Amino acid sequence: MADTILEIRHLSKSFGSHEVLRDIDFTVSKGDVTAIIGASGSGKSTLLRCVNLLETPTSGEILFHGKDVTGRGVNAPEYRSHVGMVFQSFNLFNNMSVLENCIVGQVKVLKKGRDEAKENALRFLQYVGMAPYINAKPRQLSGGQKQRVAIARALAMGPEVLLFDEPTSALDPEMVGEVLNVMQQLASGGMTMLVVTHEMAFARDVSNHVVYMNQGVICEQGSPAEVLGNPQKQETKDFLSRFRNN
Amino acid sequence: MDLFAKLINDISRLWTKYSSFYLGGIWSTLKLAVIATVIGVLIGLVCGILNTIPCGRNDNIVKRAVLKIIRFVVRAYVEIFRGTPMVLQAVFIFYGLPYFSNGAVAFRGNSGMWLAAVLVVSINTGAYMAESVRGGIISVDPGQTEGAKAIGMTHVQTMIHVILPQALRNIIPQIGNNFIINIKDTSVMFVIGFVEFFATHRNIVGVNLMYFPSAAIEMVGYLCLTLAASFLLRWLEKRLDGSDNYELVSDDQLVMAAGTYAHPDRGTPFDERHKPSRDEVIQEVKIGKQRGER
Repeated sequence: MADTILEIRHLSKSFGSHEVLRDIDFTVSKGDVTAIIGASGSGKSTLLRCVNLLETPTSGEILFHGKDVTGRGVNAPEYRSHVGMVFQSFNLFNNMSVLENCIVGQVKVLKKGRDEAKENALRFLQYVGMAPYINAKPRQLSGGQKQRVAIARALAMGPEVLLFDEPTSALDPEMVGEVLNVMQQLASGGMTMLVVTHEMAFARDVSNHVVYMNQGVICEQGSPAEVLGNPQKQETKDFLSRFRNN
Repeated sequence: MDLFAKLINDISRLWTKYSSFYLGGIWSTLKLAVIATVIGVLIGLVCGILNTIPCGRNDNIVKRAVLKIIRFVVRAYVEIFRGTPMVLQAVFIFYGLPYFSNGAVAFRGNSGMWLAAVLVVSINTGAYMAESVRGGIISVDPGQTEGAKAIGMTHVQTMIHVILPQALRNIIPQIGNNFIINIKDTSVMFVIGFVEFFATHRNIVGVNLMYFPSAAIEMVGYLCLTLAASFLLRWLEKRLDGSDNYELVSDDQLVMAAGTYAHPDRGTPFDERHKPSRDEVIQEVKIGKQRGER
């Protein structure tokens, strides 16, 4: 397929003798919103961090537009500039203002001019509703606000695919909504997204592909209706019923 | 009370006679402390950065070997200069280098003495700062590095734009410590004949034996220097932290920023009616030139 962006093939990752990911296979096409769900410790975050090369996979391939990015001699920073990442703990640069956070990558990595970068940053800050806060420092913002800035920072780099690592898990309940709204907006705007989440409602309503992971392997994947509505495997059923009970 | 009056009398006599010497001593002390602290912090920065270059099992053998050697050298430097008295280091370098090079390398004259003093104090400061910088870098949340990497920054860019600014902010109290220590400890440089504030005292009391009044002047002098230094550093820290408040921007920044690639008066490439071309049109109209005539 021409519009395949990411292809994960036989990806495995071990920390020492502990195998965290085993033989992961899936594909992300342009415009896909893929939700990765699963219990804590099932390897969801590690998978996402492998995709962004923050962790080096032990074996397997990650094909970005058909080119393997896991080998030696691959320009990892260059690759990462095409793949945005939003973290659970925001990871905004504490020494910079909100605006500066969204500008620095464009200027230093993409080598854009300052004025152009500023205009671009402002556009995305406005998009996530954080334009009034451009002069604030990260420490002065609430969790939800920080996360929205983090999304704007990732968007400002013009990524082809955006990875979300449990973007709402560190937020107070009343702030989850504002972040999910932005993500929903992004999804309907056609952004390709790979989202590790515990928000089943988000997986059901926004994503078009759900991957359920259990103990380092993909247990089941398919459309939200298939995986969430009519799960085939017992593990998936158990996992989902635990969620319903909560 | 008589004794106090006597002391004040003695001090004022000393001061009227030797104030230029004392002030000159203070100036030398301050210059040496500032220069040596700055150089020392730079040495510390370099050592700290070298010590924190990430090195995984996946890196090739050459890089790992080079890093191992660098780390060993830095470690040896830190341990040796932190573990021996600065007085001895001064003597060691000032007399040792000429001794070993049969006089080819020697610290001659006033400038030689300055060179030796700056060298010893800054190398000493660097040894202490190396560890502080390492601590400062480690203390920055690893998430900051990940955030920087995730938007495609290289290791050097991450260091320069994200980690070091935060690490530096964290080690300012340490830099202040070292600066104040340097103001006081430069006094041991008298062993190589360097005349700073304390050496001035030694010279003056050598003539008139007024030990206590002169020491009182020294005490007050040093205290003023260090108090000023702490005050300055606190101020710097506050400045770096920035304001606790921020202003909400209510007007539309995007509209205001749009089309500012160049200054509006010069016009933008997208702007058909920028000033020069408007002037041109006006000029053309004035002299009655028609487009067809060109």
